Amino acid sequence: MKSDSSLSTIVKALEEVGAFVEEVRDSEVYFRVTRENVKAAARALYSLGAYLKTCAGVDERELSGLFAVYYIFGLDDHGVDAVLRVLVPQDDPWTVSVVPDVPAADWCELEVRDLLGIDFRGRLTKRLVLPEDWPEGVYPLRKEFKYDEKPPRVLREELSEEVGIPVGPYHPALHEPEYFELYVEGERVVDVAYRGFHVHRGIEKLAESQRFTYKQVPFLAERICGICGFVHSSCYVMAVEKAAGIVVPERAEFIRSIVLEVERLHSHLLWLGVAAHLLGYDAGFMHAWRIREQVMVLAEYLTGSRKTYGINLIGGVRKDINTEKIDKVLKTITDLRKEFTELVKAMLAVPQIKSRASGTGVLTKAEARALSVVGPVARASGLYRDVRKDYPYLAYKRVSFKVPLYTEGDNLARLLVRVDEVFESIEIIKQLIDMLPGGSVVVEEYDIPSGRRAVAAIEAPRGEDVHFIITGVGRPYRWRVRAPTYQNIPALRAMLRGTPLADAPLTIASIDPCFSCTDRVTVLDVRSGRKSFIRLKQGV
Amino acid sequence: MSSVNIAKALRAIKKSVWVYHLNSGSCNACDIEVLDALTPYFDVERFGIKLVGSPRHADVILFTGPVTRESLPKVVKTIKAMPRPRLILVLGSCGVGGGIWWDTYSTLGGFKKLEEILRENGVEVDRVVYVPGCPVRPEAIIYGMLLLLGLVEQKSKRVEVVASEG
Amino acid sequence: MSVAKILEIALRTGRVTRRYPYEPPLLTPEFRGAVKIDPSKCWGCGACVKVCPPNALTLKPAGKEATLEYFVGRCIFCGMCAEVCPAKAIEVTKEFELSATSLEDLKSRVIHRLARCSICGAPIWTEAELRTVVKSSPIAEEYYLVCPKCRKERFAKAAMLRLGAGSE
Repeated sequence: MKSDSSLSTIVKALEEVGAFVEEVRDSEVYFRVTRENVKAAARALYSLGAYLKTCAGVDERELSGLFAVYYIFGLDDHGVDAVLRVLVPQDDPWTVSVVPDVPAADWCELEVRDLLGIDFRGRLTKRLVLPEDWPEGVYPLRKEFKYDEKPPRVLREELSEEVGIPVGPYHPALHEPEYFELYVEGERVVDVAYRGFHVHRGIEKLAESQRFTYKQVPFLAERICGICGFVHSSCYVMAVEKAAGIVVPERAEFIRSIVLEVERLHSHLLWLGVAAHLLGYDAGFMHAWRIREQVMVLAEYLTGSRKTYGINLIGGVRKDINTEKIDKVLKTITDLRKEFTELVKAMLAVPQIKSRASGTGVLTKAEARALSVVGPVARASGLYRDVRKDYPYLAYKRVSFKVPLYTEGDNLARLLVRVDEVFESIEIIKQLIDMLPGGSVVVEEYDIPSGRRAVAAIEAPRGEDVHFIITGVGRPYRWRVRAPTYQNIPALRAMLRGTPLADAPLTIASIDPCFSCTDRVTVLDVRSGRKSFIRLKQGV
Repeated sequence: MSSVNIAKALRAIKKSVWVYHLNSGSCNACDIEVLDALTPYFDVERFGIKLVGSPRHADVILFTGPVTRESLPKVVKTIKAMPRPRLILVLGSCGVGGGIWWDTYSTLGGFKKLEEILRENGVEVDRVVYVPGCPVRPEAIIYGMLLLLGLVEQKSKRVEVVASEG
Repeated sequence: MSVAKILEIALRTGRVTRRYPYEPPLLTPEFRGAVKIDPSKCWGCGACVKVCPPNALTLKPAGKEATLEYFVGRCIFCGMCAEVCPAKAIEVTKEFELSATSLEDLKSRVIHRLARCSICGAPIWTEAELRTVVKSSPIAEEYYLVCPKCRKERFAKAAMLRLGAGSE
């Protein structure tokens, strides 16, 4: 949603509610607010066209004696982030929630409450991120908690409700443990409950510990997600380089962009195969992954490993690219384009695929804006939002490409957005290779002062990935990661309402949740009160 | 406890192994390589391997992930649902040694620690093969499976050398 | 009938399967597999231990020896150890057939003998590191076989003697 407000209008509106400018950096403006006026400030920003990227809680008692909650808003038209900082005293840890005005802040506030113990007034709260058997009153992100402490297990009544379910979401074609509960009336879904965070490993706390230094965190970041790992690793080094003011050689920026686009190709082909499989079209699944295999071989040839590439360093990259590698890149993407065009034509020619995907899982533009969805989900609902265009980073300032936009907001629109993005990626890679500059690929000498803050964002295949960093001595002081799926899953409630049960798996898969997680769904018939467990193949 | 004749079981399933994939909190890279093994370039179906939808039908469980605290009770229940003999193929650096996050507050530290908890709960595991990798190559998964079935020789050996002048 | 187009694609592509293990695997020349440590070159300095993100490489002193252990089960195959080794003793191989039936088979150890201080007997550094230092800049044994603490005390005594503070 484009707004006409200029930057000074925005600053004035915030100053009117009592905020003042704390710090101005190249692409972020930090405002200090109090817990009395944070809600008004958030409402002012949101109504002026900003959207919420994430919020992060920080234990700043070593620096200033207080806790801090940062709300990071993005202003697309100006390419600038507006960050609201609320300070919370440690003997009275509560603040006012902004969720009534900005619904997108729902999950990140619950996460701050779980990990730091700051209460949010004005909304319902529940446990979100920590395991069910975690004791109350133990907050992992507080500095006195050691990263390898193992508090004793506390059994709760909720666990006993699960008796009889052989462990949730483990399914033949999938792979991330998540758990959905669909409430149906007859054949239509009326509501959905979600329990996730089975994969919480304590990565943010680990990066702050003695075991890790700035140089080793890129390897940790790469393993946050096995499909879009390079995005996380690049976003982390970009945030540190921004905070410390390190200038990366141009050749390194181009190499990072080329590998990012190669990753986008593999991720979209993977998704297309999984979507075809969920629709029952296994031939499409096999062909899509056959085409994808050449992209994996290319990635191994460029970086040394099929996945979890490990080539990012602070200040550049580890591996250079020579003419042989460039020839291989060009050959692979030329073959890919031919085969992919044929495959998409063959898939969409099957009448059942088109008819099942259109009209189901609709997300309207207003809902998409309120929940601040990102990536192909937003672009399929009419929101023209792409980090590569709005906040240009790395080598994207130098290439020209189109951003696909559809307005229907259904499953077919999300499929077509991803198909178009594959073709755009191929064009971007060609341009990047043409313009590849010479020079070194890494700066060896640099200095990282402590106490600096920065926000970096990259367009992952699934959407916008945001990293917020506060530098410390030798390792980050605080590192907050907001992956794109985190922002998109709350939109599922709106999408699934009214959908026929048979289309629910495809809808859940269409947001590309870092793996489609519907395998095992519990179906509760609201009218008869009968509970039954169906497996994906049966339901489809 | 009834004695389980592993050799007899392996002879019976050698040409057609039914596997169940169990993710205990991994990043998914190993899991998509498991899926990749089914696709045309590697095609594990030539060995008769197929994925099944329930642990009760499985001969072998493909285990990934460092066993996060949230998924622990559910993993125990799944392995309990598997009929004897329980053959498990542990994939990836997370499962074998706990991975890059082997000692955080939210992970258990890999399959070895899980085996102790399984034994406390009365769940016996009959044969385990560890496959290192980050992520595991599809070929490494095939090699691990062939080792589990007893069709290839193991190459890794414990090595201890005293440093001396070359 | 365009629904049969997928059949046409399949027939044209033919068979792409590489029948591993009877045919060679799909490897490229850049692949990073397990690393190999050359015990004749290793100094026992611990640079690789410091840089390894998952702590797959550990250096544990115990009495007269220090053991450098490489646990390939936890290795993430990043190759940083090979990059930082000052002795160029670590080589990245293309080995990926690493499966084993027990965790002990996945550990390989290089055992270093520790040199001891000639005055107090505390272990100072590995004999391999000493050999390397002496080869590049020959120093007399009475200097290099002394630990930093004893060396400081000896220097302080010599300095006081020189300044005439007495023979204490």
